[in-house]
Amino acid sequence: MNPPIEILVEKYQNNLYTVAFNVCKNAQDAEDVVQDTFIQYLSQKQEFESEQHIRAWLIRVAINKAKNKTKSFFRRNMQPLEDYIETLKFESQESSDLFETVMQLPQKYRIVIHLFYYEDYSIKEIAEILKLTQSNVKVRLLRGRILLRNTLKEVWADDESREI
Amino acid sequence: MTNQEKYKQAFSVLHTSVDFNMEVEKMNQMKKKNKIKTVVASSVAACLVVAGSATATYAADIGGIQRAVQVWIHGDQTQVTVEFVGNGKYNIEYLDYEGNEKHLSGGGVAFNPDGSERPLSEEELMEELTAPQVQYKDDGSVWVYWYDQKIDITDKFENDVCYIQLVNGEDTLYMTVKYQKGSATSPHRYLSPVEFN
Repeated sequence: MNPPIEILVEKYQNNLYTVAFNVCKNAQDAEDVVQDTFIQYLSQKQEFESEQHIRAWLIRVAINKAKNKTKSFFRRNMQPLEDYIETLKFESQESSDLFETVMQLPQKYRIVIHLFYYEDYSIKEIAEILKLTQSNVKVRLLRGRILLRNTLKEVWADDESREI
Repeated sequence: MTNQEKYKQAFSVLHTSVDFNMEVEKMNQMKKKNKIKTVVASSVAACLVVAGSATATYAADIGGIQRAVQVWIHGDQTQVTVEFVGNGKYNIEYLDYEGNEKHLSGGGVAFNPDGSERPLSEEELMEELTAPQVQYKDDGSVWVYWYDQKIDITDKFENDVCYIQLVNGEDTLYMTVKYQKGSATSPHRYLSPVEFN
């Protein structure tokens, strides 16, 4: 099954943007990544087995493209992260603090945290997407959580509703 | 509120900008533009073959000792950058279809009349690399890659030898392929299987 691109754009555009932003920390770069990812979908010849397969593929491609973007000499990188954060309309100060704290985490923890908490992926699925071992993903997730708890204190309560 | 709910709420503020245009027509045009660039380039430049499974269909000098090329990798045409690093060696960098950064490298030597070795020059490497390549796939099929051509020669073998004429514009090559035992080309005639290893 390879659904028309219009459907995928409507469904996943913001998820891809969010994951790409999580890696790039830059809105323009993240938008480039989203566009490049969908163009890659149009160009590829792989036959996907399911909706989940497509979603995981799109996210993997977006993460890889975003990582490459951060290494590129020609980064657009026009707006500092702090300035961009100021334009965002958070529902509460708590949300804003959480967002900023996550963005200060090392990239390798940030991506795992994002896939787990935002995309609802399991450890096994994250390992497949990032091509890491499951134990490696667990370690990154645990360390990321500790860093969040150390900074956010009670905002990031010890209430983990999902086992890892 | 759970940590997960807090996280989702915090990151739900991220959206692409209002100026961001994801029109399908525009994406198709961008995809098409890349293809046109490839075709134009192939008419003016050389063909490159890379390390067994990769065959380039054009090479364009992008300055210095790097060249941007379109290569066949695992049956897909892929944009790569070839860097000639001297001493008869080259490195190749490309992104696979999932956007992973990949690297290949290779090189070659020639023998002087006295039997000593010398590294191939950039030009010689290009010449070596421009020959058509044969790929034996896991499904048993056999393919020849040359320029933008991908030819299935699986059923063309007789007594484990296949003769195939390759044409690209004004260039013609006569290729002899010995099943799993190498291949040879000549612009003038089919080489006999006994003439090469």
